[in-house]
Amino acid sequence: MLNRFIRYIQRYKGWFGGAAAICIFLGLYTGLLASPPDYYQGELVRIMYVHVPLAHTSTLAYSVLFFGSIWYLWKRDPLVDNMCQASAGICALFTGLALITGSIWAKPTWNTWWTWDPRLVSFSVLLLILGGYLMLRKLVDDRERGGRYAAILAIVGGIDLPIIKFSVEWWRTLHQPMSFSTRGVAISDDILVPLTLMSLGAWLLFAYMVMVRTQILYLTDLLQAKKGRLFSQTHFSQPTP
Amino acid sequence: MTGLYTRWAIMVGGLLLLAMMTFQQYQRDLSTLSLATVVTRPASSEPVRIQGMVKSGTLSGDTEQGQATFELIDGPTTLPVEYAGPPLENIRELKTMVLIGQLDPATKTFKAKDTALINNFGFVAAAYLLTVMSICWALFAMSQRVMVLFKEIKDEKLYEPEIDPLGHNK
Repeated sequence: MLNRFIRYIQRYKGWFGGAAAICIFLGLYTGLLASPPDYYQGELVRIMYVHVPLAHTSTLAYSVLFFGSIWYLWKRDPLVDNMCQASAGICALFTGLALITGSIWAKPTWNTWWTWDPRLVSFSVLLLILGGYLMLRKLVDDRERGGRYAAILAIVGGIDLPIIKFSVEWWRTLHQPMSFSTRGVAISDDILVPLTLMSLGAWLLFAYMVMVRTQILYLTDLLQAKKGRLFSQTHFSQPTP
Repeated sequence: MTGLYTRWAIMVGGLLLLAMMTFQQYQRDLSTLSLATVVTRPASSEPVRIQGMVKSGTLSGDTEQGQATFELIDGPTTLPVEYAGPPLENIRELKTMVLIGQLDPATKTFKAKDTALINNFGFVAAAYLLTVMSICWALFAMSQRVMVLFKEIKDEKLYEPEIDPLGHNK
């Protein structure tokens, strides 16, 4: 079922890319030019328009990796495995960028590049888990076994997602509390418009990037399999002396 | 490959346009002049933004009523300031401030009408540049990789029915 869905949605890859480009362009325009500075943060609020969507998208990407890994262990579908591997790489990129942009925002606001805050630490742990996942994929030669081990790591690492989400409520923290909750939306309209556009753009971009990366992995496998088959045919068809 | 490069040319063009518009807005609304520049430049009727530190022992006037005089320091240059505008809530000696106003060429005094936040736009530019360039680089590398893989598959004729390259099945 998931395999068919991935194959079906791959046909609309270009639409996702186009929609992401439009949303991000509009988001950049409203974020940099059309929105006013914040009363407290001044111009620095504009960093939020890239930092928050990157952070949201990296948790979304890890959720895709988490559920994809469960599915892979259940069905052993290589296409889902490719999608998980693609999600992990892109999630690592988004997580790294979210941490760096957060650090850039923190320097003029908190007067430090880094602090041992629960949200920051749990988010860094996510990057470490992803690093471990990608290293595992590279280091284990047997693809099937590597995929299985990596899926188990991704599922175990999923424990970090609720910790990231609720760290600002469970512990005393410098980081802002949740802006979207059952209590309502704690963001003014001036900020909400560029933030929504950029978030939507980042989600669509993630979907597009996963599709392209999955395609790359599929094509690489295909090329290797075909080359391997040709090689083995050549090898086995050598005339015996 | 041409389609890929055309799409990327449009995207890079759009991003450059956005960067230019942002830079123009920064120059118009945020950038500050150094005190030395304000003192030496020809007189202008346009209000300008200056940034400097309030010199110790020079602040006087009723700041809560929006009336104050003080001296501003920026490196070796010192400029007397007469402020008349909205109440100055956060002013104190040795504080760095951004003032909006004009230089009176006769008295060489800066007539300030308002204050502004010290802009940290360098941090904003750094965050945006890093994000956009990293994602664009990743996307471009991925798109190019797909093209290369397709080309490699096509060039090696791997989609054709596999035949024995040594011709033993003939």
